[in-house]
Amino acid sequence: MAVPFLEVEALTKSFGGLRAVDNIQFRMENKEILGLIGPNGAGKTTLLRLITGILKPDSGSVRFQGKQLVGLKTWDIVNMGVACTFQNMRPFRRLPIIANVMVSCLSPRSMRRGEWVKVVESKAMDALEFAGISDMALEKASTLSQGDLKRLEVARAIATEPDLLLLDEPFGGLSPAETDLMAKSIRRLHKGGRFGRLHSEGPAMIIVEHKLQQLMKIVDRIIVLNFGTLLAEGKPDDVVNNPAVIEAYLGQGGGQ
Amino acid sequence: MVAAGLYLKRFYTVVRGEVLVLPSRVIVALFFLVLLGMPLISQDPYLIRIIVLTSIFAILAASWDLLSGFTGQMNFGHALFFGVGAYASAMLNVHLQIPPWVCVPLAAVAAVLTGLLVGIPCLRLKHTYLALTTMAFPIILMGIVFALPDITGGELGISGLQRISNSMIGNYYIYVVTMLVLCTIMWKITDSHTGIIFHAIREDELAVKASGINTTRYKLMAFCLSGFFAGIAGGLYAHYMRIAGPSTLEVSMSFTVVIWAVFGGIATIYGPIAAVFILFPLLEFVRFWPEYRMLIFAVVVLLILLYMPEGLIPWVRDKIEKECPRCKIRNVATRKTCRICTAVLD
Ligand SMILES: Nc1ncnc2c1ncn2[C@@H]1O[C@H](COP(=O)(O)OP(=O)(O)OP(=O)(O)O)[C@@H](O)[C@H]1O
Ligand SMILES: [Mg+2]
Repeated sequence: MAVPFLEVEALTKSFGGLRAVDNIQFRMENKEILGLIGPNGAGKTTLLRLITGILKPDSGSVRFQGKQLVGLKTWDIVNMGVACTFQNMRPFRRLPIIANVMVSCLSPRSMRRGEWVKVVESKAMDALEFAGISDMALEKASTLSQGDLKRLEVARAIATEPDLLLLDEPFGGLSPAETDLMAKSIRRLHKGGRFGRLHSEGPAMIIVEHKLQQLMKIVDRIIVLNFGTLLAEGKPDDVVNNPAVIEAYLGQGGGQ
Repeated sequence: MVAAGLYLKRFYTVVRGEVLVLPSRVIVALFFLVLLGMPLISQDPYLIRIIVLTSIFAILAASWDLLSGFTGQMNFGHALFFGVGAYASAMLNVHLQIPPWVCVPLAAVAAVLTGLLVGIPCLRLKHTYLALTTMAFPIILMGIVFALPDITGGELGISGLQRISNSMIGNYYIYVVTMLVLCTIMWKITDSHTGIIFHAIREDELAVKASGINTTRYKLMAFCLSGFFAGIAGGLYAHYMRIAGPSTLEVSMSFTVVIWAVFGGIATIYGPIAAVFILFPLLEFVRFWPEYRMLIFAVVVLLILLYMPEGLIPWVRDKIEKECPRCKIRNVATRKTCRICTAVLD
C-alpha cells in the first residue's frame, strides 16, 4: 500500500479547558488542494500550527510522506517541504521586502535546490515577481498595504519550494480584484513550472478561507471544522449544501 | 614609472567614484587615515594611551551590537566575555608563561566557549528575563574569582602581564590595526546573508523558524561571535593594563557598553564604535572635575536619547545623506537628483 501524502490522526490540542482541536482525523493526497473552513474560533489556525510544529499537540500524530512530524522543530518540518503563511501577517518590518524573502531562500531546503552560484538574491526576486510585488523589492516591509503583506507571506512561503503549502486566509482583507489576482497566482503555482529560478512542482495545499465562493473554485475537497471537531468532509458543492454546515455557519451569524 | 602612474590614476578614480561621493564614506576614510597617521603628528604618551584604550572599548561595544543590536538578544552582562578574555589571557601569560600574542587568541576561544555556555540557557528566554539572566552571569563569575584567590588573585586580580609589544608606537599600531580589522569584519558579518537572518530574528523569531531557518543555531552563533570579539578586547585590555582584575566584570562595565551602543545607534556596528570614540575621550578630558564626570556623561546620553531615539550616528547620517526614494541608494543631502538612477530627491 502506498504511503499517504499527509495523514493526520486523532490530533488533539487544548488551551486550558478549551479543546481548540479535538480528535481530528483526515488524509490528503499529493497535489490535492484541500479547503479548510469553519466559523471563527473553530480551530483552523490551530490545526495548521500543529502540522507545522509551531504548537505541540496534546496527542495524535501527523505523518507527512510517511514521516512523523509531531515532535520535530518547525524549521525541520519546513525543510522537509511543508511551508505555511500566517493569518495575521508576520513580516520582518524593518527589513526590505527582498530581505524578507531572502531569509526563506537561505533555508537549507531552498539552498539545496538552488543552481550554480549565488542564487539567493535572484531567487528571492523571482518569488516576489511571482507574488506580484517585485517592484517594491527595496521598500521596507512596514510600508506595505494589507494586500501586499498577504502577497509577501505567499512569496516567503513559496521561496522554500514546498511540497505542501498551508495558506491561512490568503484572501483575508483583500479587495475583490486582489482576491482574483491571488486566486490566479495560487492556481498558477499549483500547475507547477519554473518561475525564473524558483521551481514549483505544484505543491499540495491546505487553504483556510472564509470567502467560500472564491475558495470553491480552487479546491478539490473541503473539510469543515466546528468547535475543534470535524463536522463534514467532501466535494465543495456537497459540503456547502450540507445542513449541518449551514447550521454551524448560521449559528455563528452567517458566512458568505 | 609609467605603471606606477597608471596605478595612482586608477586609485584616484576609485577614491573619487566610491569614497568621495558620500560624506559617511569620507568620514570613515578620514577615521582610518587619522588613526594610522597619528604617531606621525604626535607621540604624546597620554594621547596614545587614550586612543589604545578607546580602540579596545570600540571592539567591545561593536561586539555587543552584533549580539544585542542585531539579533535582539539583550545582553546586560557583556562584561562577562570581556572579563573571561582578560582573566584567560592573564592566567595563560602569568601562570604558564605563554607569549601574549598566543594568549589573546586563546582568550577569544575561552570567550567563545563562554558564549556557548551562557547562550544555551538564554535560548528560551526573552525580554526582561533574558536581560536579568545575562546580568547575573558576570556576577556569578566574580563570585568564582573571589572564591579561588590562588588562581585568580582574588580582589587584587592578576598583575604583571607582558605587553604585546614593548615599544609604545608598536603597541599603538597593534591595537589600532586590530581594532580596525575586527570592526570591519563585524560590519561585514552584519552586511552578509547571516546578518539578514540576525536582523530577521530580532524582528520576528517565529517567522524565521517558519522560513526554515534553525534559529537556535543562529542565536548560538551570535553569542559565540559576540563572545569571540569581546574576548579579544578583554585579552588586549589585560595585556595593555598589565592586570586583569574584578573591575573587568563589574555591572557598571556591562552597563557602560549598553550606553555606548544606544548612544551611537544600535544595529549599525559603526554607531557604537563612533560612540566610544566620542564618549571615552570626553570622559578622560573631564577627569579634572571628577565630581561632575558621571553627571556630564548622564546628561549627554539623556539629551541624545531624548532628541535622537535612533542614536547619534544614524541621526547625523540622515542629516548629511538622503536615500533615493526609487533605488534606495544614499546620496549627499545637497544633491537634487540621485547619483545612480537620477530620480528626483525630495
Ligand atoms: N495560543 C492560544 N492560547 C489560548 N487559546 C487559543 C490560542 N490560540 C487559539 N486559541 C483559541 O482556540 C480556539 C481556536 O482558535 P483558532 O485561531 O484556531 O481559530 P480559527 O478557526 O483559526 O478562527 P478564525 O477563523 O477566527 O481565524 C479559539 O477559541 C481561540 O480563542
Ligand atoms: Mg485562524
